[in-house]
Amino acid sequence: MKKILVPIKRVIDYAQKIRVDPTKGPQGVQLKNVKMSMNPFCEIAVEEAIQLKEQNKGAEVVAISVGPKQCTETIRTALAMGADRGIHIETKPDVRGDYIDLQPWAIASLLKGIVDKEDAVDLVLLGKQSIDSDCGQTGPLLAGLLNAPQATFAANIERGDDGSFTVERETDTGTETIKLNASGKPAVITCDLRLNTPRYPTMPNIMKAKKKPVETISLEDMVKELGLDLDEVLTPKNEVVEVYEPPPRKEGETVGSIDELIGKLKEKGLVA
Amino acid sequence: MHRLTPSVRRLAAAKCSKTKNSKRCFASASPTSWDADENTSSLTKLFNPTDDHAALREMVRTFTEREVEPQALEYNRSETFNSSLFRKFGSENGGLGILGLTAPDDFGGTGLPDATAVSIVHEELSYSDPALCLSYLAHSILLVNNLAVNANEDQLARFMPGICDGSKIGGMCMSEPNAGTDVLGMKSNAVYDSDRDGFILNGTKMWITNGTMTGKETGDLFLVYARTGTEKRSDITQFVVEGGMEGFNVGQKITDKLGMRASPTAELVFENVFLPAKTHVVGDVNGATLCMMRNLEIERVALAAMAVGIARRSLDEMIAYASDRPAFGKSSLFGFGQIQKHISESYAEYMAGKCYLYAMANGLDLSTYGNGLDADGVKLYCATMTKNVADRAIQVMGGYGYCGEYAVERLWRDAKLLEIGGGTNESHHKNMARDLHKLDGNKLE
Repeated sequence: MKKILVPIKRVIDYAQKIRVDPTKGPQGVQLKNVKMSMNPFCEIAVEEAIQLKEQNKGAEVVAISVGPKQCTETIRTALAMGADRGIHIETKPDVRGDYIDLQPWAIASLLKGIVDKEDAVDLVLLGKQSIDSDCGQTGPLLAGLLNAPQATFAANIERGDDGSFTVERETDTGTETIKLNASGKPAVITCDLRLNTPRYPTMPNIMKAKKKPVETISLEDMVKELGLDLDEVLTPKNEVVEVYEPPPRKEGETVGSIDELIGKLKEKGLVA
Repeated sequence: MHRLTPSVRRLAAAKCSKTKNSKRCFASASPTSWDADENTSSLTKLFNPTDDHAALREMVRTFTEREVEPQALEYNRSETFNSSLFRKFGSENGGLGILGLTAPDDFGGTGLPDATAVSIVHEELSYSDPALCLSYLAHSILLVNNLAVNANEDQLARFMPGICDGSKIGGMCMSEPNAGTDVLGMKSNAVYDSDRDGFILNGTKMWITNGTMTGKETGDLFLVYARTGTEKRSDITQFVVEGGMEGFNVGQKITDKLGMRASPTAELVFENVFLPAKTHVVGDVNGATLCMMRNLEIERVALAAMAVGIARRSLDEMIAYASDRPAFGKSSLFGFGQIQKHISESYAEYMAGKCYLYAMANGLDLSTYGNGLDADGVKLYCATMTKNVADRAIQVMGGYGYCGEYAVERLWRDAKLLEIGGGTNESHHKNMARDLHKLDGNKLE
């Protein structure tokens, strides 16, 4: 196995309390002074890539991120976990990645260009979705653009000697197993929660990560290099119309007995 | 935001405290990944001078949240040592590789001779479990760092790998039942036997962190100070003593401590323990005061860092509690002057200590010594500061602050040790006054 690409996204940290400024319209989600981290599902993808690399000596893991200057820290974490090199497509500081400016189509287009440029990519591993836009589209779109075999929501991945990938997918109704045949195209697999538990970047690896190469290129330059149209990439296909906080949870009613509970539920027409 | 599936909810349910504090369950939550203005960066830079430091802090913080926090209360309650968690600090089996933080990397360490990194690890671990951190300190600083700085190549090759990879746990023996602050008053002695080319060690050491894991056997490896000459008070030699050596036993495990209960403390007894001169003497015979001096500064910095971590946790807890607690028609306690005073004074004192710590640590060269004044100063200040901040946290939280589940009472009990262990307040007074007296009329900078 030669090359695994892992696109990773820098998002608002999982546990942060999201604040929405109602005066800012669709741009309401506050990003200033907010803690950012690698998207949890991207982390799982990085871990899987490292495990596959460990099982297949000689494989190279490349972490890719599209975002502002601070994305280098996110890439650095991937390197400290064991990725070999990074590619940072740097956006201007005011370009938002949480669906407002950059959307899955743009990311998938950029990634397709990178896959073609990198050549000999066996596998692209992505998180199943990002926790800010929650689209879950980048992986499937990329597979479509590449005309490549794909499997989403992977809970287990096995690589066959013939270069195929057998993926167990988790769905709401159960688990299915899919085999992605070796096709000359990279397999595209998105990762779900149960796939693995990401390792900690150990101290020696944190220090080694500094020496690993990270290529930084501006979004504009990358778009030009890939022969894409900048307007096409930067103009969102979907427009965010409104962003608002969920309404505060209303106080519930306490009931004294099961009978009373059933009575109330019937009253409210919630049970027959 | 991402829907909380049962598995995510389970991950998130690692109980920290009843407050609304974040339960980060995924790695890479970087404290420095702020979309911040230029104003925040000078303090952040002070606390994380390089990318490596920021990455280290992030890694330890995540590990602490996920694995240290959930076990802290239970091990405190049972006064037992979580050795399997401790071993995860080692470099084996995908461990964090921080036991040998300051040890040379050709012998299994990380090769980061950096007081800032030491401070970061101790601060972050102490946020959740100062007791576990104390054991970490005794091992990584009192044993590993001391060896790294004072041992010869043979000794490094022989002893360093085991104590860096997590397979061997140990500490350092200096204090005795009747000699603590008066360290040179120690009675343990080692007599040279020329027939066997070794020393016969006799004596008792007290308050030894990691002295025993279970109360029955000793820990694995210790640096032991003993008198080897009677001409001068300072005729002390540093030895390596291995668990299992004949005559080396546990006197007793110290129980019913006020705090640091999850850290095992013991009285250790040495009866005619034979120590080969070629391999088990560290540094020069009668030259141990040099070994001591090279290590005391970083030890004090590490303890001060523990204090800063405890204070930060206390602040987080009291702020969260005060934000959510209504009273007298006001939606939170922040409307009341005494609470405002508790919180704001705690914050200022914490920041003063933290800045003193990192300013001092950032410039500390671990291979030299002679920076004692500020090492003593930062520990003296931070130890009392954190005791006070923890105390105010209990006060702000009222009845809840008084209960184990809410963490701050344990932090308050753990904090008290810092005014005693690794140098009593009184010893710092003595040292600092001596150093300031030496200024001899010259003014401060």
